[in-house]
Amino acid sequence: MNYVQHLNACFRSAAAARKPFVAYGQNIAAGSCVSGLTRGVAAGLDQVALNTPNAENTLVGVGFGLMLGGVSSAYFLKQQDFLLLGLDQIVNTYNYVRQSRPTASYSIVTVVVDSGYEGIQSSLNNFHDFCSFARVQGYCLTNRQDSELLIPRLFKEPGFRIIGVSQRLFRTEVLDFEAGAEACLGGEFFRYRAGDRATVACCNFSLPQGLALCRGLEAEGLSASLFSVNAVLPSTWDPVLDDARRTGGLVVLDDSKSANRSGHRLALAAHQSGAVKKVLVRERSFTDQDLRPAPEVFEVEVGDVLRVLS
Amino acid sequence: MALDLGLAREVLRLRLGMMIINEMYKAKAFKVPIHLAMGHEALAVAVSALMDPDDVLVCSHRNIHYNLARNPSLKSEIDEFLLKDQGLAQGRLGSMNLANPARGLVYSSSILGNNLCVAAGLALAKKVKAEPGAVLVVTGDGAMEEGAFYESLEFMASYDLPCLVLVENNGWSLATRIHERRCHIHLDLFARAFDAPYLLLEGNDPYAYLAELRSARDLALAGPGPVLVEARMLTLGDWRLKTEDFPEGKFINYHAGPAPTVELSDWPLIRADESDPLHVLCGLLGEQMVRDMALALRRDLEGEAA
Ligand SMILES: Cc1ncc(C[n+]2csc(CCOP(=O)(O)OP(=O)(O)O)c2C)c(N)n1
Ligand SMILES: [Mg+2]
Repeated sequence: MNYVQHLNACFRSAAAARKPFVAYGQNIAAGSCVSGLTRGVAAGLDQVALNTPNAENTLVGVGFGLMLGGVSSAYFLKQQDFLLLGLDQIVNTYNYVRQSRPTASYSIVTVVVDSGYEGIQSSLNNFHDFCSFARVQGYCLTNRQDSELLIPRLFKEPGFRIIGVSQRLFRTEVLDFEAGAEACLGGEFFRYRAGDRATVACCNFSLPQGLALCRGLEAEGLSASLFSVNAVLPSTWDPVLDDARRTGGLVVLDDSKSANRSGHRLALAAHQSGAVKKVLVRERSFTDQDLRPAPEVFEVEVGDVLRVLS
Repeated sequence: MALDLGLAREVLRLRLGMMIINEMYKAKAFKVPIHLAMGHEALAVAVSALMDPDDVLVCSHRNIHYNLARNPSLKSEIDEFLLKDQGLAQGRLGSMNLANPARGLVYSSSILGNNLCVAAGLALAKKVKAEPGAVLVVTGDGAMEEGAFYESLEFMASYDLPCLVLVENNGWSLATRIHERRCHIHLDLFARAFDAPYLLLEGNDPYAYLAELRSARDLALAGPGPVLVEARMLTLGDWRLKTEDFPEGKFINYHAGPAPTVELSDWPLIRADESDPLHVLCGLLGEQMVRDMALALRRDLEGEAA
């Protein structure tokens, strides 16, 4: 099963468990249904799937109105860029709604367009920036285990959050860690591997790179722990820092284009803790030269990591 | 038919309440920016009288008249502006976001156009839950310039939502008159573009407004889609500022803050023409009756505010 099929199954069953529930967005129930992501979501009784007009600002606000009216919803967007048109609602309306103790759940689910060919526009990969504006909770989903835990939880839990999924992973086989996955803090982090020489922490959608790195290190006889940082604004860095204290080395990967990355905050926390001796941060570059339709490249060389760890 | 004096008393209560707040404002009692709405009372009173317990109201930065109309306690309003724990929202909302969910005023936004989108969502929630009632949302001649106005009407019309969109057209956005900033917008034609009924309210008669709004609300509930209501009014409290360039005084439109030339008195009329709902009440009920009601109300309200 590929990543998008798996996500679709999770969204379908999480929405089916909620009544009333509104799923809405542009083309969510037409054509390819957002590349299959939204097909059949909220198709049950007492559920509504709205194929909406192109009016992102209003659509973001509609979810908050539904929330004030006690109805849970999910707004699906084909590109996270389009959410820029609704920033006022994400900041100003959310700041009102959050203090009114809402009972309904509202999730904005956006595809982060990180495959590269869309060009200089439509290639925003700055999830952290959206969350930072009003300290909105955000969650990155990269695999079977995180989506199976987080989607049902978030579609149920009162409050507002943004859920990001990676376009680059859409047609790839969904990563499946089976019994090896361990959720920390209700899914703010996941640990997929436990090693003793390094801790690899993957921010944004860099888990596939982190997994490849772990395998590369293993081939060199070095076992590493592997974490994904699912929450864009985690409540604490302790699960990762505790592990890194034990292994002695922390490798932080972050493939977002934001200048405001989780990876920075994690590296700073590691530095401030004073207990992690070796810290290596690998981030996606973003210069004017990166602005052209070309595959997004974010690769981490095993040799670079070995040099720092040794 | 004898007129229900309750509506007239409400118009006066709002006017006097705002005048009392204005006096405190002149004395620098408030740190939060308040947009007074003297001149808007007839519409606010009619809207509040119109509202069923099932209806919800969504306001903008200028919400004091609706908040006063929905809240019998002037004191809790003032305490909110003073950011006290005893305030209507325990001092958490202040002025521009002030709401009163227990009385159906569920949201106010300081961002132009923002509240229309939320109103669309509230109306969708009603529809999904098959709940009765309408969503009333207030915007201005300035806020309707925002794209959200177009988008929200489109959304309300697309999903046949029971909404009453009320445009308070006072002719100004901050210090700019409509013709100084944009083309004329034919709201009737705009509504027609969405197959939405359009209603124009003029004249500041709260009784006539209530009757007309009742039929507009019925239309919104019957569907399909929203009803657009434009109410023409003036925001009273303008004054003249003498400068070197304007020795005769430059006209300053009242937007927010204290209204320096408005004085609380036994007779709270500001203008002796149709732009002042009090003047309109005098025509309907006779000046003496209005004066008597004002006198009694002033005593009560000042006692409450003290
Ligand atoms: C998005 C946005 N842009 C600008 C402002 C600044 N602003 C506050 S009130 C106002 C005038 C609005 O005019 P109108 O909607 O007609 O309301 P009125 O104050 O006349 O009652 C403006 C421009 C704002 N609050 N929000
Ligand atoms: Mg105006």
